[in-house]
Amino acid sequence: MIEILQQIINGMAIGGVYVLIALGLTTVFGILGIAHFAHGSVSMFGGYLTFFLVVMWGLPLALAILIALVVGFLLGVLIELLAYRPVRNANHINAFIVALGLTMMVEGLNLEFFGHEQVVIPTDFSRVFNIGGVTIPELRLYVILAAALLIAAMTIFVEKTKTGQAIRAVAENRDAAILMGVNVNTIPLVVFSISTALGVCAGVMVGALFAIAPGIGEGLVVKGFAVLILGGLGSIPGAVVGGLVLGITEALAAGFISSAYKDVIAFVAMILVLLVRPQGLMGKA
Amino acid sequence: MKLTTLTAALALAGTTALAAEKTLDIGVSDALTGGAAVYGLPQANAVKMAAEEINAAGGIKVGDDTYMLNVIAYDDKANPTEASNSVRKLIDRDGVKYILGFCCSGATGAVASFIENEDAVMLVGNAAERSITTREIPNLVRTRPPADYTGAAAGTFVAQKGHKKVAVLGALDIGFYASYVDAFEKELEKAGGEIVTRESFGLKDRDMTPQLTKIRELGPDAILVVGYVEPAAFIYRQAVELGIDVPRFGFTSGSEEQFLRVATSEQMEGVWDLRPTELTLLSASDNGIAYHANYSEKYGIAPSPSSPYAYDQTYALKDAIEAAGTVDDTEAVAAALRELPVPDEVVMQYLPVDGKMFDVNGQAYTSNGAFQWQGGNWVFVQDLPSDAAAYSAFLSTID
Repeated sequence: MIEILQQIINGMAIGGVYVLIALGLTTVFGILGIAHFAHGSVSMFGGYLTFFLVVMWGLPLALAILIALVVGFLLGVLIELLAYRPVRNANHINAFIVALGLTMMVEGLNLEFFGHEQVVIPTDFSRVFNIGGVTIPELRLYVILAAALLIAAMTIFVEKTKTGQAIRAVAENRDAAILMGVNVNTIPLVVFSISTALGVCAGVMVGALFAIAPGIGEGLVVKGFAVLILGGLGSIPGAVVGGLVLGITEALAAGFISSAYKDVIAFVAMILVLLVRPQGLMGKA
Repeated sequence: MKLTTLTAALALAGTTALAAEKTLDIGVSDALTGGAAVYGLPQANAVKMAAEEINAAGGIKVGDDTYMLNVIAYDDKANPTEASNSVRKLIDRDGVKYILGFCCSGATGAVASFIENEDAVMLVGNAAERSITTREIPNLVRTRPPADYTGAAAGTFVAQKGHKKVAVLGALDIGFYASYVDAFEKELEKAGGEIVTRESFGLKDRDMTPQLTKIRELGPDAILVVGYVEPAAFIYRQAVELGIDVPRFGFTSGSEEQFLRVATSEQMEGVWDLRPTELTLLSASDNGIAYHANYSEKYGIAPSPSSPYAYDQTYALKDAIEAAGTVDDTEAVAAALRELPVPDEVVMQYLPVDGKMFDVNGQAYTSNGAFQWQGGNWVFVQDLPSDAAAYSAFLSTID
């Protein structure tokens, strides 16, 4: 029983990261219909930037994260304005190609600015809590809590604020939203800003828990899209449930079946879910 | 008197014209970026440093000619296709005949599969897959011993420590890591021990807690970690976080600096690394101490323990070219390599077979050692049993 609980805790930390990546992807996809492949590389940029600010400039971690978040917010605006807006009314394949090109560009910029070395964001969180035989490292606990906080904030923003309602309206019916006076030029900017800021948070978490290195972002975005499909395209609750399910399934698969095939097992589980619910766990039929 | 001076001046001018200073391009194919760059980049740096030292000491003497070395390095990303392309480019476009580096087995194996048909000599460094030197390739030599040579020694050492139940966590889909564990297991079983589980991870994996949780439940006497430095460092850190309190043995060849990027010194305390007796400052010979100081000064970072394999390649090549008396006849240079005594300048502690650095298979052997992390450093604790002659005879029996 302790082993199962431990594996669930193990899976929740990485699951929290998947959720944040998937939340960014699902809002962009739900509103704009864009498969934003560069999201993983942008997340890594956020992690690298935080590392740089902490290690090179000696800033406190919290301040470095704040700066990275603001930069991420602005980066999201730039990405929407310069990369996706020009092809908004063009064929979908154009946005697809832009997304691929953007991925390579951001990866290249990361390499140019931050180098090829693996980096780990240093933190002071080295305590380990032991609750009834289940161990929880302090850093993992904070990652889980931070992810939960961000999910709650995102949900409140989308459900309770006027901008959130406008975002949902555009996602539901763009033409009707225009008729209701929603500024559909502003909404994509907001969506990309929030999405990129969430990605930056995920990048910081990966950088502190594990490491940031070239290629890590690609793996994350693949997992993010898997979560999107598992949870239901465009669904925020779906991203939350899907991310946690994927993270915990990976941990349980590695612990109880085979560590060599943990990714395969997680994806097989995902396919099985989709056979029963093609619209995803929380998607609308 | 005037005539004598004139004659001497003419003779000197004539000698200078005949004994020209030439440039010899040597190639490096290695992982300069990506996950394996922790091994490949230091190797490429080591070759460049050795070449500069050789040039500063007067170059390579071949008859009346003196050759200054010029290093052309390409990034193969430890990828077999990239490595094949790099080597093709070096041979076909740059006209290089001597290729060094090669940190990683997959990429090295791909190049080894065609190098025999080329007018070139391949000097392999850190790549540890056994099959690289079992193919009887006459124009290939390797400075690092195969992984199973070290794995057997490690198994004996762990068994002698009294450990009976060992859990393995490693990059087991990589051949040479698997062969290290196989040889380890054989020796452990001889002493009545067993491997209770073999858990694996991918090279990009950084979260090993699921595997470690499983291992914790099995209650082993010890853990054996085999894999690249970066994932291994996470394993050591996460094992402590999960409260696993058994001896941790490894086969990683990482430097202090590389481990400390991920784990604290306290989390690393007591970890063993069972590997060829590679460079650590505390166990180094005079050559090793000088190498460490020069490399650190030149590159602003300490050398990785395995980087001298490439440094030593360069000096072995120099001596072989001088012994063969040619830079153009690669067959003669390859043959000279196989007859070469261990050069004076090398950093690693080689065990010659029949007085030669490389055996008939083109394989060199170092001693194996047990290193332990103590107070922030890898400390050499003791030699591991290393019978180079017996292993060389065994290697010759493998097709």
